[in-house]
Amino acid sequence: MAASAADVRSALSIPEPSSTPGPSQPKKTAAPPTRKPEGISRELYSLIGPSAPSLAAQLAKPRLKQKPNLGGGGKVKWECRAFKNPGRQDSLELKHWVKATTEPDAEYPFAKYNVQPTAYTYSQDEYTRFLEDKEWTKEETDYLFSVVRDYDARWYIVHDRYEYPGGVPRQLEDLKDRYYSVCRKLVRNRPWAGDEASKAALISSFQFDKERELTRKKYIVSLENRTPEQIAEEEALYIEIKRLEQNERRFKKERDELLRTIAGIDSGLPDVVEDEMVMNLTIDTKKKKRGSMAMDIDSPSTPAMPSSAPIPKRPQTAKNTAFDVANCIVRTEPPSTVPITKAAHQPAHLRSYKLPVPKAATSQKIGQALTELGINHTRLVMPTRQNIAHLEALLDAAAALVETKRVVDKVDYDIKLAKTRLGMREGQGAEGEAPAAPAESMEVDESNDIGEPVGEDGRAQSVVSTRSARSRKHTRRSMSISSVDTSGTAATRTKRQKRS
Amino acid sequence: MASDRVRVRGVSIYRPIIYGNTATALTQKERDVLPTPDHTHRWTVAVRSAASAPDSDQVGGADDLSYFIKRVTFKLHDTYPNPSRNVDKHPFEVSETGWGEFDIHIRITFVAESGEKAITMYHHLKLHPWSISLEPEPQAPSADVALKAGPVHSWQYDEIVFHDPYQNFLNILTSHPVTPLPKTKKKPVPFHIANPQSLEASKGGVPEFTALMEQEEAERLEEAKRAIVKEQEHWRNILIEKEKELEKLQKQLAETE
Repeated sequence: MAASAADVRSALSIPEPSSTPGPSQPKKTAAPPTRKPEGISRELYSLIGPSAPSLAAQLAKPRLKQKPNLGGGGKVKWECRAFKNPGRQDSLELKHWVKATTEPDAEYPFAKYNVQPTAYTYSQDEYTRFLEDKEWTKEETDYLFSVVRDYDARWYIVHDRYEYPGGVPRQLEDLKDRYYSVCRKLVRNRPWAGDEASKAALISSFQFDKERELTRKKYIVSLENRTPEQIAEEEALYIEIKRLEQNERRFKKERDELLRTIAGIDSGLPDVVEDEMVMNLTIDTKKKKRGSMAMDIDSPSTPAMPSSAPIPKRPQTAKNTAFDVANCIVRTEPPSTVPITKAAHQPAHLRSYKLPVPKAATSQKIGQALTELGINHTRLVMPTRQNIAHLEALLDAAAALVETKRVVDKVDYDIKLAKTRLGMREGQGAEGEAPAAPAESMEVDESNDIGEPVGEDGRAQSVVSTRSARSRKHTRRSMSISSVDTSGTAATRTKRQKRS
Repeated sequence: MASDRVRVRGVSIYRPIIYGNTATALTQKERDVLPTPDHTHRWTVAVRSAASAPDSDQVGGADDLSYFIKRVTFKLHDTYPNPSRNVDKHPFEVSETGWGEFDIHIRITFVAESGEKAITMYHHLKLHPWSISLEPEPQAPSADVALKAGPVHSWQYDEIVFHDPYQNFLNILTSHPVTPLPKTKKKPVPFHIANPQSLEASKGGVPEFTALMEQEEAERLEEAKRAIVKEQEHWRNILIEKEKELEKLQKQLAETE
């Protein structure tokens, strides 16, 4: 291959006579070299030419951050508009500034944050069964719940306003502890409509450890109450202990090195942890005594441990789970307390033999309730493990319902009884008392109510039984005035409904 | 081997089965050739695996269960000749003709490796078509109607559960994997008296058990539970109000003393 003159020139880096291209040379293109790619500065491009590495060409040009598009060009119009907050009970109308572009009838966006916590209430029956506490009476618990409801579970306010007449002084933690423990017990003992996980989550949200909270606060207080001298001393002590630790480490290292030089490297020297060894041994003997098969990795220092029957425990991997599902295997932890004997073995059975059965006393009513819902609790179409669990939960819920209805009947009966007794007594009392003229009764109510609510109430009641419209109004009035707690109105309402 | 006779603790393993019967009304011609012309139906009672074999015209029976079932004894009505019928191999079923419904006593004996006792159950032989009305039909439907309605199916799903099986029995079981129930419904739903709503869905051919049925039942139970819990809330509120009322009355009583 013959080298052209241009090649020689370029090899010897002799400048080319630009004006006179040789005939053998291809004519230079008049157009400027190909446009410089983006991402390379002009100077660099002129140095390396078009043979620039392709990667560099792809690099984006260092560009400034794009300017934010503020306001979209035009000006924003704001308007002062009236709005109603659906989170409020009253129909208060306030005004606020909104963008003119927002829809005029859009819902107030912050209303959704007005979340009411679920107010837990409990019946007398539930109280006696689960909620008894020797430190608390039912009345005080009721009071606590009403205060918590009033102040929306804002605990510092609740504690500030908490004033139970004749009660022992309560700390904030006492109140919280009582409230949360009651909620926990209610959630745990009531039938739960959702799945177990959500129930557990709810219970854990009511978790409150009073001791820990008290310790925490005490600790913070003690931290806050340190004098400057104490702080300085603490710091000095801290530095001192660090220094000592360092010294010890250095000493140990030196000792090791010394011993190694004297006794040789492979002598297998014990470390300076004799006391730890002793501890390990004692733990192991304890384990052996208990006879537990807990062969853990944390006790490698006991090679003498008999490993006669290690339970082949396979880790529950996804593959194993798939295997179990395919083969219809259910693994449970073997109960270690039950002695392994032939008699204890649970024989093979049909799944449907283990259908849960309601208690004999209530089974008829439960059956009735379930039949209304179209459930036959004695037979299942598909008695699988899950469905039996579902059925069991259903039966529990039904049993609770039947029990509640029973208690309602009992309370109903008691109410009737109390009313008759009251009516009888009032019948006697009314004769002795001056007959209350209907015209003056209102005034009497107002003045006498606080001092002597019973007579008024009682009279009102007995009048009610004659079913005059006027006296009915009277009852309502006197009841609502005399009632101390907010529940009074509710109770009156039910009574009225029954009467009318 | 000694290690085979060790129970595997903490394991329960089950096998889904179905038991029940299929009954077909006989035509007059068929009845005439029978030695017992008063018999109106031909029926088959069986114990089978729950999943149906593809392209088969029977309910269930995709798997051969003889790997863990040694014998199934069907005890028929005493009026049948040799009423106790033993079936020692797959398929575990008995076919007969008859005119009346009665309870069949089914006894399943397991293979020796299982070390388990036999289990028993009852099945009410079903010849006449299902109906929702609770009262028994005053008169069995006429032969023509029964013929037109097609075969009657009555099957119960169940699961045989083995606790802490012997190692060798467990090996036998796991070496015969279960055909899972189909995930989707392709054939009619087997009717069950516990779910009367399924009557319509059960018509029109040979039914098949599906995983959907389990889900559907779970939903039904959950739905009922939700309804009960709601009702419970309602009654609890009533109770609380009533208790407050009672308390008030008692206070009044105490103060008027």
